Amino acid sequence: MSGPDTATIALVGNPNTGKTTLFNALCGTRARTANFPGSTVDHHVGQCALGGVALEVIDLPGIYSLALDLPESVLCADCIDGRLGTVPDAVVLVLDATNMLRNLQFASAVLRRGMPCVVALTMTDAARSAGLVLDAASIARDLGVPVIEASGRTGLGLAALAAAAHDIAERQAPPMPAAPCPAAAPGTAACADWAAGVLERAGGRATRAGTDALTERLDRAFTHPVGGIAAFVVTMGLLFTSIFWLASHPMDALDAVFGWLGAVVHDTLPPGLLADLIADGIVGGIGATVVFLPQIALLFFLLALLEDTGYLARAALSLDRTMRRFGLPGQAFLPLLSSHACALPGIMSTRLIPGRRDRLATILSAPFMSCTARIPVYVLLCGLLFAGEPWKAGLAFVGCYALGIVAGLGTAWLLRRTILAGEGRAMVMELPPYRRPSVRTAVHVSIDRSRVFLRNAATVILSISVVMWWLSAFPKVEPSRESVALREVAAAATAAGDEARAAELAAAADADDARTQARGSFAARLGDAVQPAFEPLGLDRQLTMAVLTSFLAREVFVNTVAIQVQAGDDVADPGTMDSMRSATRDDGSPLFTPATCAALLVFYVLAMQCLPTLVLTAREAGGWRWALLQLAWMSALAWIAGAIAFRMVAA
Amino acid sequence: MTDPTPPIRIPLTQLAPGRRATVECSALDALPDGDRCLLTAMGLGERCEVRLCRRGHACIVQVDTTRLGIDERVAAQIMVTPIDDAT
Repeated sequence: MSGPDTATIALVGNPNTGKTTLFNALCGTRARTANFPGSTVDHHVGQCALGGVALEVIDLPGIYSLALDLPESVLCADCIDGRLGTVPDAVVLVLDATNMLRNLQFASAVLRRGMPCVVALTMTDAARSAGLVLDAASIARDLGVPVIEASGRTGLGLAALAAAAHDIAERQAPPMPAAPCPAAAPGTAACADWAAGVLERAGGRATRAGTDALTERLDRAFTHPVGGIAAFVVTMGLLFTSIFWLASHPMDALDAVFGWLGAVVHDTLPPGLLADLIADGIVGGIGATVVFLPQIALLFFLLALLEDTGYLARAALSLDRTMRRFGLPGQAFLPLLSSHACALPGIMSTRLIPGRRDRLATILSAPFMSCTARIPVYVLLCGLLFAGEPWKAGLAFVGCYALGIVAGLGTAWLLRRTILAGEGRAMVMELPPYRRPSVRTAVHVSIDRSRVFLRNAATVILSISVVMWWLSAFPKVEPSRESVALREVAAAATAAGDEARAAELAAAADADDARTQARGSFAARLGDAVQPAFEPLGLDRQLTMAVLTSFLAREVFVNTVAIQVQAGDDVADPGTMDSMRSATRDDGSPLFTPATCAALLVFYVLAMQCLPTLVLTAREAGGWRWALLQLAWMSALAWIAGAIAFRMVAA
Repeated sequence: MTDPTPPIRIPLTQLAPGRRATVECSALDALPDGDRCLLTAMGLGERCEVRLCRRGHACIVQVDTTRLGIDERVAAQIMVTPIDDAT
C-alpha cells in the first residue's frame, strides 16, 4: 500500500475497452502523464476517492498481450511483475463485454501472474443491445476474482469497483479460479476453448463473424482507394480550417498578454539587466512558445474526437499504401499534415504510430513540412525575388511547400534504408466500432497534451531562451552618435510641445540602439566569425546574423532584418518591402539580390530553425542524439541546397 | 473406398469478400514472429472463424465482433479453409 489507507491499482486491458474513459471517470482532471524511469512510454497516474476509499490509479497503455515485443506490452508486463519502481497493490482488468472471447484470453495471461485482481466489465450496455446478457457472478466464479459491471460514460459501478479494488489490494488475495486458466498462450485452440467455456457458462456464446450493414458501408467508403483519400483530405481540411479559425483569436490574445507582460516588467522595474532578462529573455522566450498553446489544445481535442469515432483507423488504412512508398506507415500522414500548422503538435501526434522505426522516421521528417512560422519569411523573400510579378511570387510560395514535402518524404525514404533500415511493420490494426465520441475524454486528452507542452516550455525552452537572450544582449554597447543626436532633437521637440515628432524621433533612436546593440553583441561576433561559412549562399554579415538569431524561431529572421535596415516588420506593408529592397550591405551593394533571395528561401524551407522542435524531438524520440542528428541533417541539406540555388540563379 | 477430399486451403486474400473461413492450425507459421504474435493476440488465432469484408491492398477481416485491417502482404500468408455458408 502506498499510504496508510491508499492502495495503488493498475488498469490493464486491450485497446478500445473503455479503459481510459473509466480512468477519467475515476480520477477526473487530477490525473497527470508520467513515465516510469528509463521508459518513454507514457502512462497516466491519478487519485481516486470514491465509496469511502482512496486509490492511486495507474492507467497503463492499452495492449493486446503482455508477451508482445512492443514498448507498451513490455511496460505493462514490467509494471505488473514489479520490475518498475511503482509496484501496484492490485490490478483492475478491464474486459469489453462485446468482445469476451479475445478479452478472456488476455485475462488468462494476466491472472496466471497471481496478482490480486478485480475485473471491470465494460460495454455491457452495448452487449445488451446486441442481445448478450452476461452473468458477472459466473465469470467471477470461473476466474476466481470479483467482477464488477462498470462504465466510465454513465458512472455505473464506479464506487463498487473502487471498493472492490481497495479491498482486494488490502487483503492481497490472489485469484482463486473455479475454471483455472490454461497454461496455453492466448490465441491457441486450448486457450480459445477455455474462453468459450467461461463465456458459455456466463450466458454468452461465441458469435459468428456477423455483418453490420452500416459499418460495412462506411468501411467501404472510408477505405476506398480514391474515395477514402478524398474523404481524408476533406476531413483534414475541415479540421485544420477549424483549428486556424478557432485558434487565431486566443493566439492573438496570448501574444498580446505576453507583450503586455513584457511592457509591464519594463515599466515596473528600473531599466537594466534584470528588467531586460525578465521581459526579453523569460517573458519573451516563453511567450514565443506558449502562443501556440491554443493550436495544440484544439488539435488534440479534435483529433481525440475523431479517433473516438473510429474514423482515424480507417484513414490510416487507406493511406498506408501511398505512405509505404516512402518507408512510412499510413498513420504517419496525420503528423506530417499537422506539421504544416506547427511541427510541435505534429511530432506529438506521432504517438499514434506503433512501430518505433516508423515513428522515428516520421519525427525526423516532420519539421521539413512548411509550418506557419515560415510564412512571413516566405512572403518577404518571394516578394523580394519577384517584385511586381505576383503570380511568380505565388508560384515560388507554393514551390516552397512542395520542396518541404519532397525533402521530408525523401528524408524518411533515406532513413528507412540506412540508420532506420529494417522491414517496416506491415499494417495490422484493429478497426474499432463506429461510435459517438466522448467530449469528456477529448477534453481530458487535450488538457493532458497541453500540460506536457507547457511543462516543456517552462523548463528546457526557458533555459535556452535565456542563453539566447544573453548572447544577443551582451556585452552592452554604447549608443551611437546618431542615436544620441536623435534623442537630443527628440528632447527639444518635447520642450517645444511637439509630442508626435518627439515620439517619432525616440522610436528612431530606439531602433538605432537596437541595431547598434545587435552589431556589438556576442551573437553578432558569432555572426562575424560564422559569415565565411555562409559566403557560398551569398550572405553578408547582416544576413548571417539574421539567420543565426532566427535559430530560436524562424520568424525572428524578418524582425532582425527589419531592425538592421530600419524598416518595420510587417511584410504586408509596401513600405517595409521598399525599405528591404533598397537596403545595402557594408560595401554599398544591394543586401538582397535574386540569387541571395533564392538561396535564403531554399535555406529556410529546409533548415531546422526552431528550438522548441529540437527540444520536443529529443523528448519524443527518446534522446538528444536524434535531435542533434535532425539538426545536423537539416542544416547540412539546407546549406548545400541553398548554395546550389545561389549558384544557379547567379549564373 | 477413396479418401475423403482434403479441405481446401487457400490464402486469405483469395477468399471472396463476404465469405467465411476457418484459420488453419499452423496457418500463421509463414509470418514473421512479430506479426504472428500480434494477430494471435488480436484474436486471429488457430481454428477461429473469420469473414473477409474487403479485399485490396489492405484487407478488412472480421473475427468474432472485431474488425481487423491487415496489409495484403500479411493476409496473403494466412492460410484458411473456406466455410460453405449453406452449412
